[in-house]
Amino acid sequence: MNAGNKKGRPRTHLFYDFVKITAALPGVVAFRPKYLYENEAAKKRIRGGALLIANHFGFFDPVYLQFAVWYRRMRQVCLQQFFDSRAGWLFRAVHCIPVDRDNIGMDSIREIVTSLKNGEVVGMYPEGHINTENEDIQTFKSGMVLMALQSGCPVIAIYMKPRKHWYERLVFAIGEPVDPHTVCGDRKGIAAIEQMTRVLKEKEESLKILASEGKT
Amino acid sequence: MKREEIREKLKQILFETDDRNADQVRDCSEDSDLRTDLGLSSVGMLYMVFSIEETFGVRFENVSMNDFKTLGDVVDYLENKTEEGKSK
Repeated sequence: MNAGNKKGRPRTHLFYDFVKITAALPGVVAFRPKYLYENEAAKKRIRGGALLIANHFGFFDPVYLQFAVWYRRMRQVCLQQFFDSRAGWLFRAVHCIPVDRDNIGMDSIREIVTSLKNGEVVGMYPEGHINTENEDIQTFKSGMVLMALQSGCPVIAIYMKPRKHWYERLVFAIGEPVDPHTVCGDRKGIAAIEQMTRVLKEKEESLKILASEGKT
Repeated sequence: MKREEIREKLKQILFETDDRNADQVRDCSEDSDLRTDLGLSSVGMLYMVFSIEETFGVRFENVSMNDFKTLGDVVDYLENKTEEGKSK
């Protein structure tokens, strides 16, 4: 459960929990999160390893996404350049997993798969970049499906409705867990991965509609 | 394991990874570029690596996808890995 870091030291959650607890009340007051669910299965709390995927509309999405699964610790996948910056210590302290988009390293991928296998929740943004142009969901990159297949964990799609004004509530539309092996069936290789990616993109689109309608 | 054996097993893995490139894989050589000649995407590369690890029982450590440009690069890496395994 508590895998070590690269220096072999066990990971401590002290800083992560401190940030989470101190940010909880101000966050709830400021964002007043509202949760919408695709169906009854989506309402169940996440137990064990799960890969969360969400739309990416701003720099603070990792913070918002934590409010979607406030009851679990979450590891987020972020760009290597953030780790290399002056704020790198912060990303390390909250157990982010760095990925170099231009030159993907096997160590990063293995860390994501291992975390999922160890029962952790990992958050990813399959659009691959912050979408500042419009509210349309961009094409999904399929790497997340490979990681879900390798770990055997379900994928949970979440749509976070972008807030246009500071006083608007933060709306989450949460989908039911999707088992990649069920969707892919006997298919193997890239064909299976692309099939699952299409299913998840469609799910994210339907969650967007759910969020915009705003019905619980 | 002989170099030819590694290459043939790799070809099989490439077939399974993406059968849309079956013709290119059949005619490929060690100089074939994994991305441009064999049409592998970055996810395809990762899928291939996981399949190799399963088939050959090796572990890719401290490597990134840009380290492997051609099929020959992967064969070289596996040849070294299997040699390392023998000497242990």
